[in-house]
Amino acid sequence: MIETRALTVVYGRTVALDGIDLSIGEGITGLFGQNGSGKSTLLRVLAGLLRPRSGMVTIGDAPLDLRDERFRRRLGYAGHDSGLYPHLTVGENLDLFSSLYGCPEDATDTILERVRLADRKDARAGELSAGLKRRAAVARALLHDPDILLLDEPYANLDDDGAAAITAAIESWRGPGKTGIVATHGAKRVKAYADAGVILTRGTVTVAGSYRPGGKRGLDG
Amino acid sequence: MGEPGFVAKTLLLTRKDLRIEMRARDTLVPMLAFTFAVTLLLAFTLPTTGDNERAIAGASATTVADVLAGFFWITILFAGLVGFARTFETEQAEGAIDSLLLVPLDRSGLFLAKALANLTFIVIVEAFLLPLFVLLFTLDAGPGLVPLVLVILLVDVGFVAVGTLFASVAAQTSSRELILPVLALPALIPVFIAGVDLTSDLIAGGSFGTLVEAGWFGVLIAFDVILGITAALVFEFVLE
Repeated sequence: MIETRALTVVYGRTVALDGIDLSIGEGITGLFGQNGSGKSTLLRVLAGLLRPRSGMVTIGDAPLDLRDERFRRRLGYAGHDSGLYPHLTVGENLDLFSSLYGCPEDATDTILERVRLADRKDARAGELSAGLKRRAAVARALLHDPDILLLDEPYANLDDDGAAAITAAIESWRGPGKTGIVATHGAKRVKAYADAGVILTRGTVTVAGSYRPGGKRGLDG
Repeated sequence: MGEPGFVAKTLLLTRKDLRIEMRARDTLVPMLAFTFAVTLLLAFTLPTTGDNERAIAGASATTVADVLAGFFWITILFAGLVGFARTFETEQAEGAIDSLLLVPLDRSGLFLAKALANLTFIVIVEAFLLPLFVLLFTLDAGPGLVPLVLVILLVDVGFVAVGTLFASVAAQTSSRELILPVLALPALIPVFIAGVDLTSDLIAGGSFGTLVEAGWFGVLIAFDVILGITAALVFEFVLE
């Protein structure tokens, strides 16, 4: 369970998040909203990469603490950028992170198969197209089979095949005890498999609810 | 495969930086080019005597040794700052800094990995500069070489610690090449004064014995310890 209480983030004079209260349970939650609604900011705060001006985030029962290595081990995050080293190949990038997380030796090949990027293993990350970089970024986030997955616009620049590969990879990752948040401004793809959804508008939660039978609705899906 | 320990992860990250540099060649090559150009320029500032030795009219051998030691360390200082400014360049290109911050490794490991990569770069620059200096300034490289290498390595420790720490601060600004020297130079003054003084003694004919007896030798070691530990501890707060 991820909870936020009165989460506020301010950039200069712009209030990016304005007192966000959220409870995100197990399963996959779609985070929807237009550009500039605060989705990326919220994900960065939940990943511990951005310190809010006020409010707090708890993971389970404990306050989020990026200095806690156990928390970092549980977290998979793919932001706007690929998070890869452009001069290394896709395989070298994933092998590096695989080693740092202590993943099984075949983790790189397995995840590349899953996002259908195995044929690009020896391509330099900097030479990939924007869509292939997104797939590689998602592969890196999923590599160590995290308990918490935060994906920011994973479908950006993807064609239908690429999008289907990402969806399949997320679907195969999900399971008991796992919490994923997928932020996107185009809700259609995520709604197809999300358990819940949150709509952000100008830094505030306008709608939050479950897609599960019996769950609180309030979502247009 | 079990999760590697602190040292193994740190070395993995250092190896990654060296591998990237071997491919990109955008840190070491400018450092070496700067070193060569400056040394060549400096070589023409000291007139040569009839027997091809460097001399300054009216100056003693000790004064010439002081000047040469100053030349040597100023070249290293600015070549290092040229390279260190790029310490986090590769992390910023595609947002890999976020991936790195989320890796389960203590922040001091990230610092050590970057510092080791920078140490490798500066040692390569020095391995290039030292013979160039001996050649252009007709120095006797024999007896003082081993203690000189010791002094160089001791200066490097403090230099790399401060340079890497302030590179992480400067990386968060848009003008890192300007900010880094402004931040780092005040902290580096004692280290480089010690380096110049000890190197001057060795060029003037000093030995290992005179080196360890010199007051600056102890100062240099003390600063290495203080700067190394402080930089590793402060690095976490800079990243936060």
